[in-house]
Amino acid sequence: MNSFLLQVVTMSAPLLLLAMAGYASERSGVINIGLEGKMLTACFVCAAFAPQFGAIGGVVMAILAGIVISMLHWTLTQVYRIDHIVSGMAINLLASGGTGFLEASGFAKNTLTEAQRLPLWFYYAVALLAPFLLFWAANHTRFGLQHKSVGSDPSKARLLGINPQRIRLLALTLTGVFSGLAGSLLVSETSTFTKDMTAGRGYIALAALILGGWRPIPAALSCLLFGLATAVQIQLSGKPMFGMQIPSEIWKMLPYIVTLLALAGLLGRNRTPAGLGKH
Amino acid sequence: MKAKIPILFAVSIAIIVLSLVLVKANIVQPIATIFTGSLGDARRISGTIKEMTPLLILGSAVYLALKAGLFNIGAEGQYTVGACFGSLSMIAIGGGIGVAVGCFVGIITGALWALPAGLIKAYRNGHEVITTIMLNAIALLMTKALVAGPFKGPDQFTPSTSMMPVQSRLVPLFTIGNLEIPQSFVVGIVIVLLLAYWLKRNVSGFELKATGANPTAAKFAGVNTKQVTVKAMLMSGGLSGLAGALQVAQFEHRFYDGFATGYGFDALGVALLSGSNPAYLILSSFFFGAMNKGGTALVILGVDKGITTVVLSIVIVMFAAIRYRKKEDIRE
Amino acid sequence: MSFAVSMQNISKRFGMVQALDNVSFEVQAGTIHALVGENGAGKTTLIRALYGAMMPDDGSILIGGKTVKFRNSADAIGHRIGMVSQHYGIIGELTNLENLVLGSEGSAILNKVAMQARATELATSMGFEFDWDAESSTLGPAGGQKLEILKLLWRDSQIMILDEPTAMLSPQDSEALFVSLKQLAEKGATVIVVTHRVAEVFQHCKRVTVLRGGIKIADHNVDDVTPNQLAEEIVGGAVMERPQPVSSSKSSVRLKIDQLSVRGEKGDMAVRNLNLEVKMGQLVGIAGVDGNGQRELFHALIGVTRPISGTFSFDGSQWDSESSRTRITEGLRIIPEDRHEEGIIEDWSLLDSAALGLQRLPAFKNLSKGTKKQAPSMAEMFDTKFGRLSDEIASLSGGNQQRFVAGRALSLDAQLILAFQPARGLDLNSTTKVYNEIRRVCQAGACAIVVSFDLDELLDFCDRIVVMAHGELYEPQTEVARDRAAIGRLMVGAG
Repeated sequence: MNSFLLQVVTMSAPLLLLAMAGYASERSGVINIGLEGKMLTACFVCAAFAPQFGAIGGVVMAILAGIVISMLHWTLTQVYRIDHIVSGMAINLLASGGTGFLEASGFAKNTLTEAQRLPLWFYYAVALLAPFLLFWAANHTRFGLQHKSVGSDPSKARLLGINPQRIRLLALTLTGVFSGLAGSLLVSETSTFTKDMTAGRGYIALAALILGGWRPIPAALSCLLFGLATAVQIQLSGKPMFGMQIPSEIWKMLPYIVTLLALAGLLGRNRTPAGLGKH
Repeated sequence: MKAKIPILFAVSIAIIVLSLVLVKANIVQPIATIFTGSLGDARRISGTIKEMTPLLILGSAVYLALKAGLFNIGAEGQYTVGACFGSLSMIAIGGGIGVAVGCFVGIITGALWALPAGLIKAYRNGHEVITTIMLNAIALLMTKALVAGPFKGPDQFTPSTSMMPVQSRLVPLFTIGNLEIPQSFVVGIVIVLLLAYWLKRNVSGFELKATGANPTAAKFAGVNTKQVTVKAMLMSGGLSGLAGALQVAQFEHRFYDGFATGYGFDALGVALLSGSNPAYLILSSFFFGAMNKGGTALVILGVDKGITTVVLSIVIVMFAAIRYRKKEDIRE
Repeated sequence: MSFAVSMQNISKRFGMVQALDNVSFEVQAGTIHALVGENGAGKTTLIRALYGAMMPDDGSILIGGKTVKFRNSADAIGHRIGMVSQHYGIIGELTNLENLVLGSEGSAILNKVAMQARATELATSMGFEFDWDAESSTLGPAGGQKLEILKLLWRDSQIMILDEPTAMLSPQDSEALFVSLKQLAEKGATVIVVTHRVAEVFQHCKRVTVLRGGIKIADHNVDDVTPNQLAEEIVGGAVMERPQPVSSSKSSVRLKIDQLSVRGEKGDMAVRNLNLEVKMGQLVGIAGVDGNGQRELFHALIGVTRPISGTFSFDGSQWDSESSRTRITEGLRIIPEDRHEEGIIEDWSLLDSAALGLQRLPAFKNLSKGTKKQAPSMAEMFDTKFGRLSDEIASLSGGNQQRFVAGRALSLDAQLILAFQPARGLDLNSTTKVYNEIRRVCQAGACAIVVSFDLDELLDFCDRIVVMAHGELYEPQTEVARDRAAIGRLMVGAG
C-alpha cells in the first residue's frame, strides 16, 4: 500500500508542477501548448549541468532554461503577435529536435548520482505547497488580481492603467520556474535523460488545468487523479479485473476522455478565461 | 516589422551553425548530406516522394481547416484511426474492393474522430486545439489496444495487424528506372487541385473562407458559421483518415503501434507554409519530405536528425511572423 | 470665482474635422453639471481631454484654479479625476470587490478584511448593497453602474465624469442613480454628466452646457431655460423647408414588425415591444441618439441576433423563423454599421468582396464569372476609386470602401434595404448619391430603413421619420412629421 501511495505521488508530482506552470501562463491569457517542450528542455538542461554544477546548480540551470524558453514564447506571442498555438507548437518541435540532437551528440549522457540530484521530498514539498500558494496569491495579492484581470479582459484592464504585456511577462517567468522544477523532478526520478522523456506530460498537465477550470487547487487535484489512474494501471497491469483483462490503455485514456467531457460542458460550466489568446 | 524577418532568418542559420560547432561536427558535410540524401538520385527522390505523400494529403486537410479558422492539430489522430480501421477492412475484405472499402472506412472514421472537436468548438466554444490534442492521445491509445489485443496479427510479435495480402496492395502507378510514382501520391495531387478549385469556385468554399477570415462579416453575409465549423472539421478529418488508409494500402501494408510518427504536427507546418495558395501545399510538403528523408541520411554521419526538426520549427515561426500577424491588434 | 474645473479655449482637430473649436467649459464644485449635444457635437472629445485620454491642440485646463497638463489618464487620476466611460468597464469573471479595487489596490498584498470594510462603508453611504464575493457577471446594468460609481469613490475622485450613464438603465434605475449623484455633490464632489436626455437635465442638474458641431452654443443655469429652448439649441434652431415626401399611403405593406423585443449585449432590454410597418416604395428614417436600440433592431432583422419575443415578416414570409440566407434570397440587403467588422473582409479582393453576402444569389451561380461581371458595376455605381479588381479591399480608402459596400447592397434585386449610417465616411456629394439611389430602388418597388444619428440627413432624404428612444419607437404627429424641433424633442425625451 505504501508503495502504491508513493507511486501516485511519483506519477502526479511532475504533472502538478507543470500544471502550475500552465496556470501561470493561461490564466494571464497566454495559451500554452508548449508546456511539453518547456519541461523537456528543463529535463535536458538539468541532466546536462548537474554533473558539473551539482544538484542545486542543475536545478537552477533548468529553471533558467525554463524561463528563457518562456521568454521566447512571450516575445513571439506578445511582441510579434504570432498565434499562440503556432508559437507553442514550434517550441515543442524545437525542444524535441534540439534536445534529441544534442543528446545524440553526446550531451546529458551521464546517469545522475545521489549527490547530483536534489532529494525528491524537496520537489514533493514544493508541489504540495504550490497550488495553495498560487491560490492565495490569486486572491490576496495585487499581482494575482491584475494577473486574473488581464486573462479575462486585457483591454478593460488597460483602461484601468494595467499593462497586460508586463503582467504576462511576469506570468511567463513564473511558468518558466515551474516548468524548470517539473523537468528537474522528472530527471531526478529517473536519474537519466532520454529522448522525448516527457512523453506527453505537457498535454496531460494542460488537460488537468482545463479539468480544474483554470484554478490552481482543482487543477492540482486533477493531477492527483491522473496520477492515481496511472498508478492503478501499473498495479493492475496483467491482472484481470471483474474477470476481464482490461488493457492498460483504457486507464491511460481516462484523463483525456474526462477532459473532453469537461470541454463539452458535461461536467459543469466552461471556465475558459475570456481573454485567452487576446491582446 | 519587415526589418525583423531577416533577423529571424539570420538567427536560425546561426543556430544551425552554432549547434554543429557545438558538437564539433563538420559544417558543410551535414548540409550537403541533407541534399544528397533526399535528392541525390532517383531512388532517393522516390524516398522523398514517399515521405511527402502523407504530408501532402494531411497538409491539405489541415489547410482546409485553417481556411475555416481552425487549427486541426488532430490530423494525427484522425490519420491514425483512418489507418487502423482502413487496414482492418482491407485485410478482412481483401482485393481491390478491400482497398476501396478501406479508403471509405478511413474517410468515415477520420471524419467521426474530428466531429467532437467541431461540435465542441461550434456549440460550446471549446478550443479545437485542446480537444484535438485529447482526441489524438485517445486515438493512439485506442488503436494500440486494438492491435495489441483483439486485432493483433497472429504472425506479429509487436502490436500490429497482419500484413495485407500481396495481391491487394497498391503498386506504384508507374516507374521510370528507380523513380517510383505511387498511386497515393497522385491521389494527393488530385486532392490539392480539387481543394484549390473548391475553395475558389464553389459557394460553400467561399462561405468557409469567409467564416475563417472574419466570422462576424460571414454572419452578416448570411452564413451559418456554426454549421461551417462542423463541416470543415468533418472534411478535414475525412481527408486525414483517407491519408491514413492510403498510407496502409500503398506503403505500410499493415497498421502498427506508432504508425503516425509526428505527421500531424508536420502537417500543420506544411499548411502554414503554403500561405494563401493551396498549390503551394505541393512545394511545402516536398520541402518537409526532403528534410525528413535528408534527416535520415544524416544519421549515418552520426548527426541526429533532430537538427532538421529544429530548422523546420524555426521556418514555421518565421512564416507565421510574416503571414499570421494579426492586423487589427496593432494599437497603442 | 474659482471653478473646480475650468477648461479654457480648447481646440482639437482630427484630420479634416474640427472636433472642438475654442470651447471653454467651467464647472462649479459641488454641482451636477450637464454637458449636452448631439452625436458628433464634441462632448466626448472634451471630456477625454479632461480625463487625459487625449491632448488638445490648444487651450488650457485648470483644476481647482491651478493650471495642469495631462499626458495620460494616470495624470488625471492623480488629480482625483475619475471617469465612468460609456463602455462598460466591469470584468465579469472577477468578483465585485475585485472589480472595485482593480488598478488601485493600495498595497502588494491585499488586506481583504479592510478592503471589504471600506467597500461596505462606501456602499452604505450611497445606500447600495453588494455581495462582495459574487462574480460581477451576475450584476445587471443597474448594478454595474452602481459599482462604477463606487469605483470612483474608491479612487477618492473629487471630479467625476459620467458619459451617458443612463443609456442602459430603466427610468427607475436612472432616477436612483441621480439620487446618488446628488448625495455626492452635496458632499462636495463635482459631477459632470454627459447626456442627451433633456428631462434628466431639468430634473437633476444645476447647470448645463450645450455643444453643437464642436462649438459651445450656450451655458445656462437650468432654472433660466425651458426644455423647448434647450432642445432647439441642441439640434440647431432653424427649421428649413423640406421637399415633400412621397406619399405611399395607398401602397401595400411589405415589412411588418409586431411586438418585437430584443436583448442588448449586457442583458438589458434594447428593443421593447416594437411595432413598425414599412410600405412598398417607402424610405423610412429612424432618428435617435446612438445606443437607443437601433443596432439591436437591425441585428434582429438581419438574423445575427435572435429576438426574445415578437415576430416580423416580409411580404408575408415569416422572417423571424427563417435563416439569414433565406432573408437575403428574398431581397434583404445590408449596408452595415461597422464596415470593417461586418461588411468586408480586409484581405479579400474587390472581386471576392462583390459576392460577400450575395453569394447564394443566381448572379453568382458561377462565382468567378459572377464576380467579374458584378464587381465593376458595383464599384461604378458610386464611383469607387480603386486600382485593379484583384486588389485587396483594404487598399481602398474608407470612403471608397463604403461606396463599394453601398453599391453592392443596391446592385442586385434589393427588396428591403437596411442601412446603418450609410453616409459614414462619405462627402456630401456621395451621401446625396447614395440616398438618391436608395430612393430610386424604393420607387421601383422596394422599401428601406435607414438609421442615422444625423437628423438633417434623414430630413433631407427620407419619406417618413420615426424616432427610436429607449428601445421604443415614436411616430411624430402628422402636423409635425417634418418639424426638426419636434423630432428633436422626441429624440431627447422632451416631447
